[in-house]
Amino acid sequence: MSEMKTATTVADLTKVKPYGDTLNDGKMELAFTLPVPYGEEAEECAKQYVKKLGFEEPNVTYYKELTPGYTFFVVYGSAQATIDYTQIKVPKVEGEVMDRVACGEWIGENIGRDITVVGASIESDAHTVGIDAIIQMKGFHGHFGLERFKNVVPYNMGSQVPCEELIAKAKEVNADAILVSQTVTQKDIHIMNLTKMVELLEAEGLRDKVILTCGGPRISHELAQELGYDAGFGPGKYAEHVMSFIMQEVKNRGWENKANIADR
Amino acid sequence: MGLLLDLAKQYKVLSIVGMAKNAGKTTALNYLIEEAMDDGMILGITSTGRDGETEDLVTGTEKPRVYLDNGTIVSVPSQLFDLADAGLEIVERLPYSTSIGELLLCRVQSAGYVQIAGPVAAQDTKRMCRNMFSHGAEMVVIDGAIDRKSVAAPDTSDAVILATGAVLSRSMNKVVEETAHIVNLYSLPELEEGTARTLLEANITGNVTDTVMLIDKDNNLKKLNLTTGLGASSVINDEITEDTRYVYIPGAFTNSVFSDIQNKKFKHVRFILKDPTRIFVRPIDWNILRKKGFQVSVLKNIEIAAITVNPWAPLGYTFDSDALIQEMKKVIPDIPIVDVRK
Repeated sequence: MSEMKTATTVADLTKVKPYGDTLNDGKMELAFTLPVPYGEEAEECAKQYVKKLGFEEPNVTYYKELTPGYTFFVVYGSAQATIDYTQIKVPKVEGEVMDRVACGEWIGENIGRDITVVGASIESDAHTVGIDAIIQMKGFHGHFGLERFKNVVPYNMGSQVPCEELIAKAKEVNADAILVSQTVTQKDIHIMNLTKMVELLEAEGLRDKVILTCGGPRISHELAQELGYDAGFGPGKYAEHVMSFIMQEVKNRGWENKANIADR
Repeated sequence: MGLLLDLAKQYKVLSIVGMAKNAGKTTALNYLIEEAMDDGMILGITSTGRDGETEDLVTGTEKPRVYLDNGTIVSVPSQLFDLADAGLEIVERLPYSTSIGELLLCRVQSAGYVQIAGPVAAQDTKRMCRNMFSHGAEMVVIDGAIDRKSVAAPDTSDAVILATGAVLSRSMNKVVEETAHIVNLYSLPELEEGTARTLLEANITGNVTDTVMLIDKDNNLKKLNLTTGLGASSVINDEITEDTRYVYIPGAFTNSVFSDIQNKKFKHVRFILKDPTRIFVRPIDWNILRKKGFQVSVLKNIEIAAITVNPWAPLGYTFDSDALIQEMKKVIPDIPIVDVRK
């Protein structure tokens, strides 16, 4: 019975809640803006709002007028809800992830030819940050891009590329894989653009002849399946993740000697 | 209602295609599954996206689950296999990759809820249907994803069920108009039997190497050095002469295929497409094209077996179900229209 007298020191994974100062105190920081004029009433409003969300002991630690009629808040509170961590299942990209050098060597040994990929940020999206992080030589966050990979021939088409042009380019250079980047997600525009891309590929009879992947801050591998893509890469995924998937997929499909799209 | 029995007499592979997300595709699927249970028919079920999860991945709205009866043949990727609450017997491992694991063909041994996903490419879906029939399915139903329509292609399915609903627009007229546009596209005239058709069919291989082809008034066929019409409108325009009668486009038909074609050339030329799913032109542009005298035929059009309407939109507004169906029937008189939630 003695162990019951002290607070739990081991997290119960079937009832997980946030950690602040001590285990299971549920402490969370929330930051948001309300369309109310700055003042004590605003502070009270934020407090009540957070309480309504189900938090206990809400504490407004900071608030500031953004512009007349709008106030920004930082609020601390104790969350009450718990999650059963042991029941969580997230679909993931299968296969081994290798680093840049290993990828290059693996392709040399197992594919015996260069792998060609074409990437772009498509349609209305003007952001190159995603596609550059994966393709451009300097890469992102210390992870070099595909341009530095051995045995990989990448084409970076930039942003606002119509689906038609991306497909035409993929055909022209006999791409093994197409990388589609979507950064903007307001009003689910990324869903519309990604759907258009896959539908056009189907109409062109190319869908089963290229490996189609997508990436972006709001893209998960699970969403990729829903949209009809072969893989999806979200935050925290770099060029080596993308290339590891593509090269193993090329092998799985037996495309080692099928550099031409027409042969696949 | 007996909708399913009527359909089963005519069609072996049926796909459910949505006009938009949340138009009621899964509800329509569940309706067919229920009918199959009553009639003791063995269905094969697959999906081009994912079905049966409790929450929508994009909008977070609640989604109908899918309950399958004993004997149903269903495609389930390995990562979703553990999540099924029904008892599943694996009858075949399929060679198609999905982003969430190896695809398994299963027979339901004890009825229950199942999360379904299928191959990502329409070609693979088509091949898988054959496996389903060989395991005893009497009819295969393919559930579409989002508003993707490529599974409607006559290559893949014999007929479609078009799911439409209030989610399209707050204006009932707009819902009816957009649905009618798709119905019109799907029922475009097929190219009549004759020299032109014979010529084209002899030269179409169905591979990606197929090119844009022109046929002139003396039935001479010319293959252009273009495997796609995409972005090639000025080249196509240059090739169309006064004698050209038909232009065959092997793949997708988008604005970039026709934007640079001179208006006067539309008058004496007929465009031939493989099937209506190749058309990616907005209704407004389509009508402008038509006014210019644009003529189009398809090699094969799409049979719409039924239209289902969902008068309820997740954004919180609803239409009167009877009124919506009535308005639909005025413009689409020949196709059965049902509210599957009734």
